[in-house]
Amino acid sequence: MSEKEVRLQVRNISKTFGITKALKDVSFDLYKGEIHALIGENGSGKSTLTNMLTGIYSMETGKFILDGEEVHPKDQVDANDHGISIIVQEQGTLDGLTVAENIFLGHEQRFIKGIIRNTGAMNKAANDLLKKYGFERIKANRMVDDYNFEDRKLVEIVKATYFEPKVVVVDETTTALSQEGREELYKHMRRIRDYGGTVIFISHDLDEVLNMSDTITILRDGDYIDTVDAKDVTSDDLKRLMVGREVTGNYYRSDYGEKVSDEVVLSAKNVSVPGLIDDINLDLHKGEILGIGGLSESGMHEVGKALFGASYDRTGEVVLGDGTHINDIPTAIRHSIAYTSKDRDNESVVMNQSIGDNITLPSLGKLTAFGPFISDRKKNAFANKYAKEISVKMVNINQFVSKLSGGNKQKVVLARWIGADSDILILDSPTRGIDIKVKQDIYQLMDSMRKQGKSVLMISEELMELIGMCDNILIMKDGKINGEVKRDPSVTENDLIAKMV
Amino acid sequence: MPSSSAEVSTTTSLDEEMKKARMATAFRTILPIIGLVAIFIIFNVITNGGMVSSMSLVISQVYPIIISSMGVFFIMTMGGLDFSQGSILGLAAIVICVVSRVSLPLAIVAGIATGAGIGAINGFFYVNRKIKSFIVTICTMFLFRGLIKYLTSDSPVSGSMDLMMIDTTGLKVTLTVIILAVGFVVFRFTRFGTDLKAIGAGEKAAKFAGIRTDRMKFWVYVLSGAITGFAAFFTAIKNGSVTASGGNQLETQILIALVLGGMPISGGAKVNFLNIIVGSFMYVILQSGLNMMGISTQMNQLIQGVIFLVFVFIFADREATDVVK
Repeated sequence: MSEKEVRLQVRNISKTFGITKALKDVSFDLYKGEIHALIGENGSGKSTLTNMLTGIYSMETGKFILDGEEVHPKDQVDANDHGISIIVQEQGTLDGLTVAENIFLGHEQRFIKGIIRNTGAMNKAANDLLKKYGFERIKANRMVDDYNFEDRKLVEIVKATYFEPKVVVVDETTTALSQEGREELYKHMRRIRDYGGTVIFISHDLDEVLNMSDTITILRDGDYIDTVDAKDVTSDDLKRLMVGREVTGNYYRSDYGEKVSDEVVLSAKNVSVPGLIDDINLDLHKGEILGIGGLSESGMHEVGKALFGASYDRTGEVVLGDGTHINDIPTAIRHSIAYTSKDRDNESVVMNQSIGDNITLPSLGKLTAFGPFISDRKKNAFANKYAKEISVKMVNINQFVSKLSGGNKQKVVLARWIGADSDILILDSPTRGIDIKVKQDIYQLMDSMRKQGKSVLMISEELMELIGMCDNILIMKDGKINGEVKRDPSVTENDLIAKMV
Repeated sequence: MPSSSAEVSTTTSLDEEMKKARMATAFRTILPIIGLVAIFIIFNVITNGGMVSSMSLVISQVYPIIISSMGVFFIMTMGGLDFSQGSILGLAAIVICVVSRVSLPLAIVAGIATGAGIGAINGFFYVNRKIKSFIVTICTMFLFRGLIKYLTSDSPVSGSMDLMMIDTTGLKVTLTVIILAVGFVVFRFTRFGTDLKAIGAGEKAAKFAGIRTDRMKFWVYVLSGAITGFAAFFTAIKNGSVTASGGNQLETQILIALVLGGMPISGGAKVNFLNIIVGSFMYVILQSGLNMMGISTQMNQLIQGVIFLVFVFIFADREATDVVK
């Protein structure tokens, strides 16, 4: 690609929310036939920019010039008509509609004659597209609700790319996908590049960014920092550009060869959950960080729930070192087990409640003045202590959790369990969708907990963090444990992938 | 340094946001109180002080509403609804009347047990069979209204003569104050209130934080039924007998009262115990004020409907994403 033709010019874009300046006079160019990554920490303005481009947010000052023509989409359908589409991080398909209705949402016109919609033709068109994409197992006439998160993302890929758009935004989509799903997405990103389209790729995973993209633009606190060629930079360069300073200290753990204690604190014996996991046996030792990796559908997320007593219809035994059986959540919590869910907004934080209440919830029994009566003073002191200890960015503990960023929500959850003085932490996807600075905080926290003799079970789809943090990694496939990898500097992602697929 | 200035701007915006949130909370608390005072004054002006002179009559209507509102307040805090309150009150009042012929204390216990029983039926279908609470309670409302009509088809069910003898303001005020005080202390100062609010604000997350959500939901329906069964005692001693329409539309009155009191329909962290008290008084003052003005029952209902809609609009917690369960 020696001669690059400009596809999209971003010119002097600014956007304010209240008195927060989300974007400050940002200008740069995107070219035809390139994958252009947009990176920056949480709150740097990446999503704000692409949401304006795709008509989700309204424009303020500045303009987007697409192929020489100024565009300002009113909504996503209007953006589609201009040849711009987006695949989002969270669920982007609508419940209660069929796969075909989702794919052609807002573009049903072509199947409508008079007032009658030709559903047959629409389903056929959708099935043809699904077949072309190699997703035959998804059926156009089925409700989209029948499919899992991963398959619904595939439907979204079809929806966003079937009309060969000029610009496709992929907004942190990969964090929610398993390796398999990512590969599918990568394939289509490359396909878009090959026909001359432009992909705007937003991701927190810098290795992925370096692998996939041609050009990288960095934003920081709403300011445009730089646009660089992906082949000229390393992930350390990118980190420095994003944070604005050297990232100091350790990222992952640096020790190797430390012996793990023989004392078993939690063990699973023949644990099964119908349709999800099958005959899982594992031992978690004192002071150990045990990892579980695999494809998102491998059942690994259910293992965390099963150990926490939160699975329905679980069989087998979950036993603590002292012989206590864990069969429900309150028992798990009473015996010092903590759990953070992959589904942070629904299962970890109580969204419409204050930071203080979220932190104190499992510890209220200890915060009483007398009898069952809770002391407000003790409660506030407790919440403040642990929010500060883990440096949650907030005004005060009365702020609602729904107003916090993903990283800060996770910190609230961790503060809750540190406050509850949990000795066994089951962390499912603890750094999902979280920026580098907070990730580093969480890794360091895990390391210091390990040194205090607490045990951590980390379930993650990010192979690098498993390799970087764990003493032992169990790899799951089709609901079973398919192999084990011991901590060693020589372990690579491919060693894990080989056991995953 | 550019980064520090950005830091400052985010902090100020957060401060601003917090100020807004505090304002909203204050608004939510104060507006119903202002409303209560305002309609009291307005009706007094319109009726030339008629409201003040018949205050005891007005207040006498508030007891069953304020007590049964407390039970529904607990249910709504955790995001549920209950439309069967009127039928609970009616049936419990019948039971109280019948049993009062044997023993008065036993009658009170029987009334509470009747309410708790219906609450348990609601709770069972809602929690164990996972049917939405408003569907379940609409069904039980119909079912038990039918039973009330059947029991009263020949004549109203009348109780022992002792019932009406003990209908004194002193007793009613004392019992109401005690039950509200207990409710307030338990809701505000024990985990009960915090857990209910957490369920309303995010049930799954509450469960993962160690709250036995299903058990809690079931028992709150039982509790609310029991409280209304107790409120039926007030109705029984006031009238001495129960007709087919006993307790009719209580559920709507409770709902209007709580919303007038500033309670968000979706429950959650923004509820306030004061909602019960302010709302109940506002409702009876509104109701009797409109009556005193000589407005017809039909018109009265229409006006109430409009006011209800306006208040739901004002107090709806639009940020709470969960719909009513």
